[in-house]
Amino acid sequence: MLSIASSELIQIFRNRLVLVTSLIVPVAVCVLFVRQHETFAAIGSLGYIAAIVTFTVAAFGLYATAVTTLASRRQNLFLKRLRSTAAGDARILTGLLLPVAVLALIQVAAILTALAVIAGGPSNVALLVVAVLATVAMMIGLALATAGLTNSPEHAQVTTLPVTLGVIAVASWVGITGTADLAWVKRLLPGGAATELTRNAWNGGVAVTDSLLLLAPTLGWVVIAVALATRLFRWEPRR
Amino acid sequence: MSTTPVITVDRLNLTYGDFHAVRDLTFEVRPGELYALLGTNGAGKTSTLEVVEGHRKPTSGTVRVFGHSPQDRRAVRPRMGVMLQESGFSPDLTVRESVGLIGRLSGRTDDVGRVLDVVDLTGRAGRRVSQLSGGEKRRLDFATAVYGTPELIFLDEPTTGLDIQSRDAVWATVDRLREDGATIVLTTHYLEEAQQRADRIGLMHQGSLQREGTVSELTRTLPAVIRFSLAAPVPALPLPAAVDADGKVVIETFALQKDLHLLLGWAQEHAVELRDLAAGSTRLDDVFRAISA
Repeated sequence: MLSIASSELIQIFRNRLVLVTSLIVPVAVCVLFVRQHETFAAIGSLGYIAAIVTFTVAAFGLYATAVTTLASRRQNLFLKRLRSTAAGDARILTGLLLPVAVLALIQVAAILTALAVIAGGPSNVALLVVAVLATVAMMIGLALATAGLTNSPEHAQVTTLPVTLGVIAVASWVGITGTADLAWVKRLLPGGAATELTRNAWNGGVAVTDSLLLLAPTLGWVVIAVALATRLFRWEPRR
Repeated sequence: MSTTPVITVDRLNLTYGDFHAVRDLTFEVRPGELYALLGTNGAGKTSTLEVVEGHRKPTSGTVRVFGHSPQDRRAVRPRMGVMLQESGFSPDLTVRESVGLIGRLSGRTDDVGRVLDVVDLTGRAGRRVSQLSGGEKRRLDFATAVYGTPELIFLDEPTTGLDIQSRDAVWATVDRLREDGATIVLTTHYLEEAQQRADRIGLMHQGSLQREGTVSELTRTLPAVIRFSLAAPVPALPLPAAVDADGKVVIETFALQKDLHLLLGWAQEHAVELRDLAAGSTRLDDVFRAISA
């Protein structure tokens, strides 16, 4: 698994296009949010900024990159090659996704630390960690499912749009307007509950037990995404 | 040496939707032999190979490799090397990194430098796969198949796109592995390679095995052929003959030596010149043409 992961990391750093879309673009967007934190905190709250930053990295840095990577490794038959070794499927997928997941977590941690230093820290760090991990798990599940519908890395630019734009829209909506009204609609949308959880963790003022209930919809999306992935994921290109 | 078959395929069927790619296929590969699975395009050999390699589940029937299901990667893969028909290497990795990665994942141990040397890619070790020529990519593929000297090696059209030197080098390596007892399963479009090297040949056509046996068993079923052309009218030939589309006289015979002697004696006696005379036992090509006709 680690040998697959390290070779994947080498490939990410050698491929400039992937490097730009997965690292530089999300970081640039996040820097904007952190620099203009007073403006965005006025629109929503610091918790909103934390949520939108997490989702920007998770959607573009992690999700879109993972879908593109899987489609490209399938298209050039690298997946088939890996499957002709003694490595099992789970080990192969974990190895392939580990570097993008770890890079995304490092980015989120760095940007949220910067936000905390500049504008004041979160009220519950442990809860924030849980919220970020749940978001990352959901986006990995969605990436596996989307990869099954994606024929090529170019095609990924289209197939990833509904989820990337969707979760950013949900995170913005829930992050700015809160869940005072339409609460369950907002919580059931993908990313809605995770956004609320991140907001609560940063802003405080909500009982931890109430917040933890918000994990359920996010983990529900993980289950749905993985179930879809097991039906949709393909290891070889269509003939 | 054990005589338990390395590969056993029993009544294998494989269908894609309505298309029946493999029908009731049964064969086995014995330890140490070179078994060539040959066939026309679309005969089902790649599908068969994919099931035996563990890339595809059979629709029905059983396949065993070293007594295990080929899907059981942990049990089977460390003992077998696979050279795929299409490469499947990451363009952004170097040759050395690719061999190292796939080699390590095979569960065997070897020295990357040694393997690169065997396939003559030492000078390309630091190059990205995207910069390799087609022939170099085939050799890279071959390198991962022979990494760690596995007991069983699948070679799916190993020499396609290789120049003569590389082709000879590949076969020299295969010969060395065979001296150490390796079992080889080969598919190729170069029939002379199979004719020269295969211990046994399975000939597939339309999803099933049409013929199986040694080269001489297969070619013995068809007559040998004598061909020549005649410049002028001649007395009656001593043997039954036909004239082909190019105007050449064609004699088919199961007794080549005797009939050739008879023909040459007749030509000498009548002072007949047999132009472009050619005589030969049946080649695998002819067996091929006969099954697909």
